[in-house]
Amino acid sequence: MNIRSAKFFLLQRKAAPYVFLSPFIILFLVFGLYPLVKSLILSFYITSGPKARIFVGLDNFRFLMGDRDFHTAVKNTTVFTFFSVFLQLPLSLGLAMLLNHSLIKGRNFFRFSFFSPHLFGQVFVAVLFGIIFAPQFGLLNRILHFFIPQIPSDTKWLANPKLIMPSIVLTSLWMYVGFNMIYFLAALQAVDRDLYDAAHVDGANAFHRFLHVTLPGIKPVAVYVMILSTIGSFQLFELPYVLLGQSPGPDNAGLTIVMYLYLKGFEAGDLGYASTIGWTLALGVLVISLLQVRIFGMWKREA
Amino acid sequence: MKDKRHRLDFLIDIFPFGTAPFIILMITLFASLWLVFHPAVRKKGNLSLWVFAHMHYNAYKKLAPEFEKSHPGTKLDLQMVHITAVTSRLRSAMWAGIDVPDMVEVEISFAGTFFAGPVEQVGFMDLKPWLTSSGLYDRMVKSRFAPYTNRGKIFGLPHDVHPVMLAYRRDLFEQEGIDLSKVATWEEFAEIGRRLTIPGKRYMIQLSDSGHGHIETILFQRNGGYFDKDGNVILDNEIAVETVKWYIPLVAGKDRIASDIGGGVVFTKALEDGYILSLLCPDWMTKSVEDDVPRVSGKMALMPLPAFEQGGRRTSTMGGTMLGITEKCKNKELALDLTKMIYLNREDLADRFRITNIIPPYKDAWDHEVFREPRAYWSNQPLGKVFIDLADDAPPQYTSPYIWVAKMKLGEVVASCNIYYSQNGEKGFDEFVRLRLKKAADDIRKLMRRNPF
Repeated sequence: MNIRSAKFFLLQRKAAPYVFLSPFIILFLVFGLYPLVKSLILSFYITSGPKARIFVGLDNFRFLMGDRDFHTAVKNTTVFTFFSVFLQLPLSLGLAMLLNHSLIKGRNFFRFSFFSPHLFGQVFVAVLFGIIFAPQFGLLNRILHFFIPQIPSDTKWLANPKLIMPSIVLTSLWMYVGFNMIYFLAALQAVDRDLYDAAHVDGANAFHRFLHVTLPGIKPVAVYVMILSTIGSFQLFELPYVLLGQSPGPDNAGLTIVMYLYLKGFEAGDLGYASTIGWTLALGVLVISLLQVRIFGMWKREA
Repeated sequence: MKDKRHRLDFLIDIFPFGTAPFIILMITLFASLWLVFHPAVRKKGNLSLWVFAHMHYNAYKKLAPEFEKSHPGTKLDLQMVHITAVTSRLRSAMWAGIDVPDMVEVEISFAGTFFAGPVEQVGFMDLKPWLTSSGLYDRMVKSRFAPYTNRGKIFGLPHDVHPVMLAYRRDLFEQEGIDLSKVATWEEFAEIGRRLTIPGKRYMIQLSDSGHGHIETILFQRNGGYFDKDGNVILDNEIAVETVKWYIPLVAGKDRIASDIGGGVVFTKALEDGYILSLLCPDWMTKSVEDDVPRVSGKMALMPLPAFEQGGRRTSTMGGTMLGITEKCKNKELALDLTKMIYLNREDLADRFRITNIIPPYKDAWDHEVFREPRAYWSNQPLGKVFIDLADDAPPQYTSPYIWVAKMKLGEVVASCNIYYSQNGEKGFDEFVRLRLKKAADDIRKLMRRNPF
């Protein structure tokens, strides 16, 4: 190797990491950091499109705190998140345990079947469930009324404010239970079989084996899925938006924080206020995620 | 054993990070070069028009060759954009100042939101000088300019009037020995409704029990609405209170005569089965009914809306579209020429009526024979004429940049009043309605007070 090629080799070694990182860095700066900074600046303005703006300091945040629609959006999103996490995850885990059992025949078929709703995407699922939930002639009403005649066949799942959130949660369960099941399935298969044998020899019954072997074994994955589900639930938008006919539904019963952000920013044209909502949501999700990590971290120390 | 040298191993000498990173780098490089040398094809036309309705798209597409022939060197770039996308895409385009169409059709519910901000920054051309100087303003249904007028400027040309009639299953009413066309007031209508409605099986009319869609039509009929002509909120005035108090018992409680059945296949089945006997029906909806429920052809009929008092207004309005010329349009004269061709040509409007059932707001076209042709589907009624007879009486819908919020708030009022009435009936209902309407109106006023523009 002569001196020239050695220099070239040295330069290459020094430059290569930056070359490989540069596409990400450029894309992040243009499509990530710049919009973030811009939206933070915008949140201190009242805007009408990008040209007309007036600096109002923290007034957008002050107004947001007293905005009834925002309160409704926060309440709805929190309710959805609560049910998403505390219904979805146990169901996913239960399904994963069932389909991890060697006695179940055609396990791969069922695994794919339960996972497949996730492949369709929220918009398709929302359109599908819009038909299923239809009053009088919808599939759900037909079935319910057939088996329980006391339930009226014209139940308005998507027009009755009290039934809207349960309908959204139900749709989301159909979509995500199978998806989270895959995580739990992978975690279950990674639990050491010897631990089960040892527990069995020690006289532990099925419940104790679940409590003392399975749960600690899948804990890292469970925490990961829980945090991911929480963040995803707080970002809920397309599903209710399409399900409720591109609206927040009667009495704002399906209004979520991101839907409110979208409506304010892109329907009403107030980018400043939409940015305020976005940053408030980001801070809220950050706090909740940190709390979750901290709670489970403490749990770990106790164990 | 002798080491076998792989064919690609020579790369290690010049690129020491392995074969896979080298391939990734090459793919990235080639893809980037490909994109650089094959940029997206620029639009070919020099006059672009966005529309959201398939029927409009097809009609304008047919007219494009004629327009291009009469304007040498012009190429019309007609684009079909989904109704929801029109709003967001147009707004983004206007904000960014990139790829703004020369002309665009905007749905009435969202039109007002484009008039926000300083008036000189509204993205549409003021058509008022052109309309008044050409005398067109006086030859059109004046109330239809209201939704597209803001601070004295007219930013859109109305595509339609959309008077509302009552469409009903003539055959089923006749079976009951009732000639519904003789009903003149809503009071008489409700009385018949209470006789014919069988809960869970048959309802007198389709009305929304949770949204703003139908009640706003009734509000307009009574000269109410969201805003007055100066843009002030009137959602909590006495007309609104009386309308909500009249409307809710029709859709809620044990004596309701209306059902909210929704659209699509469910609506088809409901009308076919006689689950709903009548519906509020603007001209555009007659086409949807014809297409979606062909099995009731000849069994349907139209009548003017019942009035709130003897001799009162017998129609309202529902839906609409405006054509706007954007400020970015480079050749506004050319755009105005196209406007005349697609919105103000008597023969073309007649042709379009055959396809869409929509009567134009341009009165010079109304004496065309097409509007007097009987339609078998509607019991041989002259579809165009029955709507034209009501068109001049169609009420104005005044707008504001806050129109979208106002619609959402009215929907909230309907939903909450529905729940209240279902649980408590008339007890305290008057007070509750006033309270909810005031709250809704105050929310809008609060937003408007924040607007510094």
